Amino acid sequence: MNALVQVTGLRKSFGDNEVLKGVDFEVERGEVVAIIGPSGSGKTTMLRCINLLEQPSGGRIVVDGRVVCEEAEDGSMRFAERGDVREIREQVGMVFQRFNLFPHMTALDNITEAPKSVRGMSKEDANARALELLDSVGLSHKADAYPLQLSGGQQQRVAIARALAMEPALMLFDEVTSAVDPELAGEILLVMKRLAEQGMTMLVVTHEMSFAADVADRVLFIDHGVIVEQGQARDVLTAPQSPRTRAFLHAVLDRAPMAEDDGSTGVGEEAGFGGSDLFTEQVAADPEAGPDDG
Amino acid sequence: MDWEVVWESVPLIWKGAGATVSMFAWALVIGTVGALALALMRLAAAKPLQWFAIGFGWLFRGIPLLILLFFAFFALPELGILLSPFLAAVVGFSLWTAAYQAEVIRSGIIAVPPGQSEASEALGMTKAHYMRRIILPQGLRIMVPPFTGNAITLLKQTSLATLVTVPEMALLTQRIFSNNFKFVEPIFVLGMIYLAMTSVLLILSVAVERAVSLKV
Repeated sequence: MNALVQVTGLRKSFGDNEVLKGVDFEVERGEVVAIIGPSGSGKTTMLRCINLLEQPSGGRIVVDGRVVCEEAEDGSMRFAERGDVREIREQVGMVFQRFNLFPHMTALDNITEAPKSVRGMSKEDANARALELLDSVGLSHKADAYPLQLSGGQQQRVAIARALAMEPALMLFDEVTSAVDPELAGEILLVMKRLAEQGMTMLVVTHEMSFAADVADRVLFIDHGVIVEQGQARDVLTAPQSPRTRAFLHAVLDRAPMAEDDGSTGVGEEAGFGGSDLFTEQVAADPEAGPDDG
Repeated sequence: MDWEVVWESVPLIWKGAGATVSMFAWALVIGTVGALALALMRLAAAKPLQWFAIGFGWLFRGIPLLILLFFAFFALPELGILLSPFLAAVVGFSLWTAAYQAEVIRSGIIAVPPGQSEASEALGMTKAHYMRRIILPQGLRIMVPPFTGNAITLLKQTSLATLVTVPEMALLTQRIFSNNFKFVEPIFVLGMIYLAMTSVLLILSVAVERAVSLKV
């Protein structure tokens, strides 16, 4: 079977600034690929090209057998028709650095809006599904809360549930822990780790090297708009071949040292992981949560 | 000030309140619908739509409202379009409202962070859907105060319809002048009635602002 995502010769310029200079990679079904690299290297742009939040300037992207965009012989770009783009986007969930929850809607309504409007799901079905998803991210007690009443970590977990509600084949994560307090990043990474274990195909732009080491099957290191190095997560992170990768990892890990080379990282350690009960402790510590919540 | 004259003036002037309020209401409704269309045109990808919206705003914000009223009432008949005074006034006020409120609606829309439309698009929503469900409801919060400001201006400016012979409150006030040569009292009453009406609008706007504010 073909790879779920096929990217060939992807280029993207903003004016004179060429951010992506010909990027090739594939993501197999069920694979978790972490994209790492210095800021401004083009990681986020690359991710955003896949669901056409950015329009590539060159190259070809295929998602689940559908051509997202394609460069013609003469160098002009052909993009999927508007309706096809929407269908592709249904297949591709995205989670943003700044959550982008709809602040005027409750957590539940955030999750049900697209299933109801895009997939024509009934209100009852959408609500039931949303509650399941909220439960799976440990937030069933926050269904009626508005985004601004939630912590960053909680908002991001709602955002993940919102993307999952469309039952996507692929999930894109764009530095999803960068805008939350460090102590709240863990709860987001935990949800992502569980998602990975359930077999979700994930493309994760991240600065969390420990997460990349722990959860990703493969790591892409991207710098100045090209993929400098890619391979098995542990190989790239512990024995990088390129001096640029080495320099980057040095710079990053000096500040946040990685755990010993056994790959154990503290993200979602055995204890408490698996099943939605992993959040019970947190729920109990939450003064707003009712006694029968969680 | 002669309070007896004041009390006598109230019912005489109040007879014009219906015309004042209905000119205001019609122009606000028609103008706002037009303003929404203009704002969306201005933000549309198609250049001709943008140009139309820009041109409309340039024209009807650049010409005094009084001239719009004169044009609708005195000039259109020469072009074969005969409007009643009331209709001519509503046409002029609607054009004015559309031009001004379009800017309010447009700035409300562009003030909503781009992440909101990106998230909507990433979920596969159509633009028409997320405009209605995601962007406009959030833009509303930003729109309400300047929108109300324009609405209050519109209400007060309906007094210009006097000059195209609509029997609204200001016209009836002038009739009192010519009947009994009392000026202070009728002007005082007229001012108070406008003040009461604009106060109602302000209170409404505060209520709407509360209703659309984000729950924190």
